Amino acid sequence: MSALLEVQDLRVTIGSTAAVRGISLSVNKGETHCLVGESGCGKSITALSIMGLLPKGSVRETQALRFAGEEIGGYGERQMEHLRGNRMAMIFQEPMTSLNPAYTVGSQMTEVLRRHRRVTRTAAVDRAAELLARVGITAPGLRLGQFPHQLSGGLRQRVMIAMSLMCDPELLIADEPTTALDVTVQAQILRLLAELQKDLGLGILLITHDLGIVARVADRVSVMYAGEVVESAPTVALFAAPEHPYTRGLLTCVPVPGKVKRDEPLGSIPGVVPRMQPGFAGCAFRDRCPEATDACAGSFPRQNMSNDHQLLCTLAPGWTGSAAA
Amino acid sequence: MSTTATSAPAIEVRGLRREFRVRQGIFSAPRQVIAVDDVSFAVPAGSVLGVVGESGCGKSTLARLILNLLAPTSGDVLVDGKRLADMDRRARARLIQPVFQDPFASLNPRRRVRDIIAMPLIAQGDVATDDMNRRVAEAMERVGLSRDQAQRYPAQLSGGQRQRVAIARALVLRPRIVVCDEPTSALDVSVQAQILNLLAELRRDLGLTYLFISHNLAVVEHIATEVAVMYLGRIVERTESERLFAAPRHPYTRALLASVLTPEPGLGVPDVGLGDIMPDPANIPPGCRFHPRCPVAIARCATEAPKSTADAAGLVECHLAESVG
Repeated sequence: MSALLEVQDLRVTIGSTAAVRGISLSVNKGETHCLVGESGCGKSITALSIMGLLPKGSVRETQALRFAGEEIGGYGERQMEHLRGNRMAMIFQEPMTSLNPAYTVGSQMTEVLRRHRRVTRTAAVDRAAELLARVGITAPGLRLGQFPHQLSGGLRQRVMIAMSLMCDPELLIADEPTTALDVTVQAQILRLLAELQKDLGLGILLITHDLGIVARVADRVSVMYAGEVVESAPTVALFAAPEHPYTRGLLTCVPVPGKVKRDEPLGSIPGVVPRMQPGFAGCAFRDRCPEATDACAGSFPRQNMSNDHQLLCTLAPGWTGSAAA
Repeated sequence: MSTTATSAPAIEVRGLRREFRVRQGIFSAPRQVIAVDDVSFAVPAGSVLGVVGESGCGKSTLARLILNLLAPTSGDVLVDGKRLADMDRRARARLIQPVFQDPFASLNPRRRVRDIIAMPLIAQGDVATDDMNRRVAEAMERVGLSRDQAQRYPAQLSGGQRQRVAIARALVLRPRIVVCDEPTSALDVSVQAQILNLLAELRRDLGLTYLFISHNLAVVEHIATEVAVMYLGRIVERTESERLFAAPRHPYTRALLASVLTPEPGLGVPDVGLGDIMPDPANIPPGCRFHPRCPVAIARCATEAPKSTADAAGLVECHLAESVG
């Protein structure tokens, strides 16, 4: 079966910054692929470039950008508009800024459907009410007439999810969908997404900085650093045997109740994510890496391990070094 | 607290309460919101009290009351047995200092780092220039800022460095208590780990007492010696950190703990069992304020507010919690 979304060697340059530097990834039908990394590593730009929503002045290059078997890399704005919100939908981090405060929930939800499908207003309203009920909103009729500011953060995010489902998309790109929410609501929203995925067979590309979310919802994980995927593997394999020094570093930074003793310091990665110039050679993590050698400054190939596990590092898989736990 | 208080409390809060009057529309009558409702606790010197709860539970209002940025409707805050409200601003600043969530917002963008850190000393009025320079340099070294960063502006620093500046500013008067309101929530995980390690080290070396407010339970578990769980303005459970995480007694605490997503694959997203009703501080339910969301509520919970009971296992406010002798 061919992948629902397939990206090969995606590069995005914004002004003098190389934001995305050669990313390949794929999302299958019914699969959740998580892109994880710290802020500034290019996760959101990757998502926006797939949707064709990059800011003005940015340049996108790809070897292939296929959606449902069709090459969409060369699509113009009209063709992308036909896909967006229709067959591929996106949910953003802050539902307050991505919903229009001047229109009711109902008018925003029906607009999506009426733009892409020939339906009557009443049919569109019925569909919106049905989806609001589907995402666990009680009294959908009441909510349709309300404005975004009248809803709580969790409700707004549910509305966003319902809106993204109006046209039965095949692919959902979710950029930090629960970051602005309370932990209790976060768990509810993530459960909802998992349930919808099971029922509708959605392919989900989920962008997050939270390794806890990744572990709990992803089928496959790609760890991003400075515009590259430095490690990619099925979730269980990645957490059982992380290989890249950055992945291992990130995992030691997270306090886990009952796992890390209070008096022991957490692991940390010195320094910050660098801003990349076009034409940078070698490993972008080498300045922060405890295992860096001279070889890291040159070019080196991506290693393909068994179990569909890929690694962009000069170290041999299974390495144990000074900083290894 | 008989279980932890071996030394005298560094800070004590007695019956703290704060009401706000809010108007929902221009013509509607103002409604009363009780943001903090009869909160009392004592924190022994050198300990860390973590305060957790969802947004709107009053934890930030509590921080502002303790810092005297807001006047309480009733109740007292005592440091070393003396009422903070009776002191002048300068005396208060020498005892208690804040560190806020967003170092971008809490640092003046037009001031250099050294001037930002020196500001509390300048405000004291009687510090000689030599002495001031020495103490600023000392504070910067303490938090891991290099000397050449003294002349920079906040915009030239990374998020982690800015938070270090905020911590240095809090330390420059050598306070006894630091109130940290979500100090790492705006930071990436690797930087969060650096800041948490720094705070732990400072507490150990300088004997500081923290009030540590966060929505992230994993972070609180790592740093706090004692944890208070807030719900709609009241502390519903308070006990030693280990005990709270091992044997939570309030159903709300259990739900909060269940919603922590640890990086362990295969566990899925838990059902926290709280339902869809969101807490509204302007509309506090009768009886136990948690009962509309409580998965184990009984008839009595809807009519009779539970009393706060303290025993060997800490303090809990629930009809169903069994007392521990």
